[in-house]
Amino acid sequence: MTFHQKNVVVTLVSFSLIMLYMTVRIGWLVQTDSFTDTNVFWLWGVVIVMATIVTIIGMILTHIVAAVRETIAHGEADESVDDTKDERDIRIDMQGTKVTYTVSSTGVALAMLSYVLGQSALVMFTALIFVGVIAQVVGDITRLVLYRRGF
Amino acid sequence: MGKRGPSRIKNNIRTLRFMNDEMSQKELAKRVGVTRQTINAIESAKYSPTLELAFQIAVVFNCPLEDVFSYDPETTTEEGNA
Repeated sequence: MTFHQKNVVVTLVSFSLIMLYMTVRIGWLVQTDSFTDTNVFWLWGVVIVMATIVTIIGMILTHIVAAVRETIAHGEADESVDDTKDERDIRIDMQGTKVTYTVSSTGVALAMLSYVLGQSALVMFTALIFVGVIAQVVGDITRLVLYRRGF
Repeated sequence: MGKRGPSRIKNNIRTLRFMNDEMSQKELAKRVGVTRQTINAIESAKYSPTLELAFQIAVVFNCPLEDVFSYDPETTTEEGNA
C-alpha cells in the first residue's frame, strides 16, 4: 500500500465518522424539536472545522506511522517516507475528484430542488452539508477501488 | 471511468527484470521515477502506463518498446463488437 493509498484510507475513515456524527446529530435535533437555524448552522461550523482538523491530523499521523514502519523495516532511523505522487496516483486522484464533483453537483441540485418543491431552507442547507461529506466518502471509495482493481 | 478488468496492453517486464540480473521492482521503480506499487500494477496488467513511462521502462532494459509492451488485438475486436 502506497503512502497515498494510506492517506485515502485515513480520509475515508475520518469522513465516515463525520458522516456518522452528522446523522446522529441531525436525528437528535429532529427528535427533540431543536431543528432550528441556529443549531443547523452550528452543525455546519462544527462539520467544516472537524473536516479541516481531521484531514490535517490524519495526514500528519499517516506520515508519522509510515516513518516508524519504514524505520522498523529498514532498521535505520533516517529512512525517509516515500510520499512520491507518480502518474498512477495522479490519474486515480483525478478519477476520484471527478466522482466527488459529480456526486456533489447532483446532491446540490437535489437539495435546491427540495427547496423549490416546498421544503424549508433549513432542510436544503442540511442536505447541502450532508452531500458534501457523502461526495468526499464516495470519491475516496472510488480511489480505493481503482487502486485495488486497476484501470 | 477507464476500462474495467485486465488491461489490453500485455508486457514482458517480469521476464526482462529476470534477464537483467533479477532486477527488483523497487529498483526499476526508482530508475523510472514511480512507486514500486505502480510497477507491480503494470506487471499484473492492472494499469496501462503513459507513453512516456513505457519508453522510460524500455530505456532501462535497453530494448525497443515493442519488446516490453504488446497490444492484444483480439480483446479490442471483442470490445469493439460489444
